[in-house]
Amino acid sequence: MRSRRAAIALRLILIIAGLGVAAFLYAFPLYWLVATSLKGKAELYQSITLIPQHPTLASYGSVLFERGFWVLLKNSVIVCGATVVVTLAVGLVITYPITRLVVPPQLRVGVLNWALSLRFLPPVAVVIPYFAIVRTLQIYDQPIALIGIYSLFNLPFAIWMLKGFLAEIPVELEEAALIDGANRWTSFRRVLLPLAFPGLMAAGTIVFTFAWSEFLFALILTATPNAQTFPVGVQSLVTQFEIIWNDMAAAGVIAMTIPLVLMVIGRKYMVAGLTFGVIREK
Amino acid sequence: MSRLVAKLPAPTGTKPERAGRRRRSRQERLAYTILLPALGTVFVIVTIPFVLAVWQSITDDNGTLVGFNNYAKALGNPLFYDALRSTGLYALMVLPTEILLGLTFALLVHRTVKRPGLRATLYVLAVLPLVVPPVAVGVVARLIYAPGYGVLNYLLQGAGITHSEILWLGVPILAMGSIASVDIWQWTPFVYLVLFAGLQTVPRESIEAAQVDGATWWTQFRYIELHYLRPLFLLILFFRVADVLRVFDHVFILTGGGPGTSTQLLSLYMYRIEFKFFDGGQAAALAVLVLVSISILYSLVTRALPLERT
Amino acid sequence: MQRISRREFVKRTAVTGAAFTSLPAFLAACGESTGANKVSKLVVAAVQGNEDGPLKKVVGNYKSETGIEVQVVEYPYPQLFEKLVTTFQANAATYDLCMMDDPWMPKFGTMGALQPLDSNFGFQRDPDIPTVVYDVGTWPPPHGPVPPTETTKAQHLYGITIVGNVEMFMYRSDKSGAPANWDAVLTNAAKYNAANFYGYVIRGLATNPVSSDSLPILWSFGGNIFDDTWKVTLDSTASIDAVTFLTKKLKQYAQPGPESTDAADRSKLMATGKAYQSTVWPGEITGIVEDPTVSQVKGKVAYIPIPKGPSGKGLGMMGNWLLGIPKGSTKGAAAADFIKWMLKTDKMRNYVAQGGIPIRKSILNDSSLASANPYFAALAQSFDAVPNWRPRTDQWNQVETIYGTQMNATVAGLITPQAAMQKAAADIRTLMKAAGYPSA
Repeated sequence: MRSRRAAIALRLILIIAGLGVAAFLYAFPLYWLVATSLKGKAELYQSITLIPQHPTLASYGSVLFERGFWVLLKNSVIVCGATVVVTLAVGLVITYPITRLVVPPQLRVGVLNWALSLRFLPPVAVVIPYFAIVRTLQIYDQPIALIGIYSLFNLPFAIWMLKGFLAEIPVELEEAALIDGANRWTSFRRVLLPLAFPGLMAAGTIVFTFAWSEFLFALILTATPNAQTFPVGVQSLVTQFEIIWNDMAAAGVIAMTIPLVLMVIGRKYMVAGLTFGVIREK
Repeated sequence: MSRLVAKLPAPTGTKPERAGRRRRSRQERLAYTILLPALGTVFVIVTIPFVLAVWQSITDDNGTLVGFNNYAKALGNPLFYDALRSTGLYALMVLPTEILLGLTFALLVHRTVKRPGLRATLYVLAVLPLVVPPVAVGVVARLIYAPGYGVLNYLLQGAGITHSEILWLGVPILAMGSIASVDIWQWTPFVYLVLFAGLQTVPRESIEAAQVDGATWWTQFRYIELHYLRPLFLLILFFRVADVLRVFDHVFILTGGGPGTSTQLLSLYMYRIEFKFFDGGQAAALAVLVLVSISILYSLVTRALPLERT
Repeated sequence: MQRISRREFVKRTAVTGAAFTSLPAFLAACGESTGANKVSKLVVAAVQGNEDGPLKKVVGNYKSETGIEVQVVEYPYPQLFEKLVTTFQANAATYDLCMMDDPWMPKFGTMGALQPLDSNFGFQRDPDIPTVVYDVGTWPPPHGPVPPTETTKAQHLYGITIVGNVEMFMYRSDKSGAPANWDAVLTNAAKYNAANFYGYVIRGLATNPVSSDSLPILWSFGGNIFDDTWKVTLDSTASIDAVTFLTKKLKQYAQPGPESTDAADRSKLMATGKAYQSTVWPGEITGIVEDPTVSQVKGKVAYIPIPKGPSGKGLGMMGNWLLGIPKGSTKGAAAADFIKWMLKTDKMRNYVAQGGIPIRKSILNDSSLASANPYFAALAQSFDAVPNWRPRTDQWNQVETIYGTQMNATVAGLITPQAAMQKAAADIRTLMKAAGYPSA
């Protein structure tokens, strides 16, 4: 019996040690990012120090104001927000019929499978044709080009998530509204939308986050701060002839903040949304 | 546009059976009316680049048709196969690790951590890497792995584990490990979050019943939780495989494909053909090949493992 | 190369959107005129780093003098090239001015992407500016091999240098005198190499960095990528000897991980007193090595032209950054005015005070500026010695990628110099042949 307790204790110690190591490996890069962002320029030229000697917020000011990245931040917010709106709208339009209305199962499966396959599209394979389209439509270096493409690429996620949430809502509720004389649009607006709200929030948060981090299309389809997004700015700080790791780290920290805040606020919805509706409550 | 169409009123005051049949076909028609414009537009937007890519791949710079020359060039280039091999190696390093680690943590936290406050904290911590733009992660990785000022060597040497600089980015297998580690760091939390959420939906009665029957945690997992998690596993696998095939940003920043071409994954290879060699035809041929292969692969997999049970 | 037919096809497939959305663009274009008094803003595509720092600082003066705002949009080096090529291919009006690294001139000249400065805007050769500066901005090139498709084109000036970069050499003068040739460099490297003090720093990051770093050594040994008839000579004995010298002999005394080292890392090693010598660009000097806020070796470093090699010549390498006007710009006259303003002697002096690298001989030889800019004398000497430039081919970017990748692999020790140069030579031959150059 004592050996059994010892075995349990040993296992516990190993688990804790393992978790500790994992926690360190996991957290240290984040710490290092923040620490580097607080270092002054002169300190970057000295030997590595684990803790900034004279912590300063100068690099944040440099990134946002001297380099003018607050414009890029603004562009990112606008593009990602618009993407969420468009993606949710189109997602609802596609998901509603296949979950609320009686349709042949092949259609539902077909649509869902096609939606999922969009995720497999490697951006680099389509970036050049999209560039040609964007140029012809004269929307090069315009935010609308990015909004369109981001909505396209995030549609699969949105469809899958919305599908899960919409399928949870009993059809009877809508049918009751219909019998009471409401038309489909009213029942959609008054009955379904409020119930689907958590799903919309979850999907919206995830879409925003993925759109926020996108880099390749932003790089190719924009040219000036008219439409450039923040990740383009972050990458542009990886430079040949300058050592500006602190500015780069500051840009990374700034890039993290907004979606993180969103994720934390939308936590309730996220947990439900993350099962993508594949698992049903039994 | 489609919302206007949806305003058609539902039928009222009709005989029951006829109403039922008419409503179903009306529902179907309604569904198609709503679906088709949206899907149609999306379909067109998705197909045009493919058509353009095909066109670009069978013409040369002046627009004259050159048949399959570009495809021959693309398939005859040994670097293409290197890129495929590197991508495969990357996937092998990354996918099992992420899934196993994510699952382990999900199980651990689900079983041992009960306090909601702690769970919430873990949630926030797990979400962090998802929101960091991959370019920023690449930058952090450089700060860690680079020779001379990389903090990893500093820590290792300081702890006495090593005595000379390890060239994390200079030795091919280590460079591959470096970029793989970045991916694992960034995506294991995603696997954890999804599986953890999935574990939440497992009915407690089943678990408790099993525990009363004296099941070990392994049996518990194998027969109950795994059953609920299975569709999620497939979903995660789908998304991660898709993402691994597309990976670009952090590798671009960390190694740029080097040393030599040892970390030149597929997307970096294609980028290089288009933007360094300006060989639009070959790049388009590659794009078409990749798109077609992925479509075939995808349909094979979905046929074998259907996600949506009809 | 023009891609007209592909774009025609695209236009046909996307005609609906174009019809609607080209209207606002048309209206916008009507609003701007090419007259200088109506222009209020110019957009410059610039390279991120020390090179465009001074530019950013002086555009404020231009605005106060003329009321025209010059917006500097920055990109890292490789992205700038890609952005410019894609913008030129589409003939977009996104940029009014662009910074170009001089090796890019052949591609842009071949594409016909720039507006000629001499015939359109009346630029003429100023005797105070070294001839080689005008030569490097002229297409087709006034000397050296010309790509076969370009031999019949009329020569025009397409770009003027605003960053007078010529690659030089730096060493710790507080420890020794100047190395007379590369053998002396090697001896000194061996002599001063110590723990945490590297005898030589190799800038070996793949493609452009390692290419820029190694070409002067290649030339000093009598090797080259092409000869005067576009024949590939990368696998000649001289070339392989040069590469062996760098990647085997000098590497023994170099910092660890040279295959990941770029210019900033190199200069930082020097500035923090961890290295003895290396090649260097003036931008690194003003930005790092002589920057008092970060440098521990200010006053201890001397700058000389690239040392001689066994061939007896020390061939410096040009890396000028030029300003040009894209063909798609509608504000050519205003852009040209800005370039002329930058070139004025008093403006250039102010530019130097902001850390800029001048091209006027009068400024470089001005002794009053020598103490603040210790590299001026070496730079003036380098200009006079007519530094070499990178091969004037429109395929240069691809050539540099091939050469740079193999060089990076041999710097990393993955393959031998001989294997690397033979592979690079073979690949470059294939490339050039496909591009229409005389074969082999």
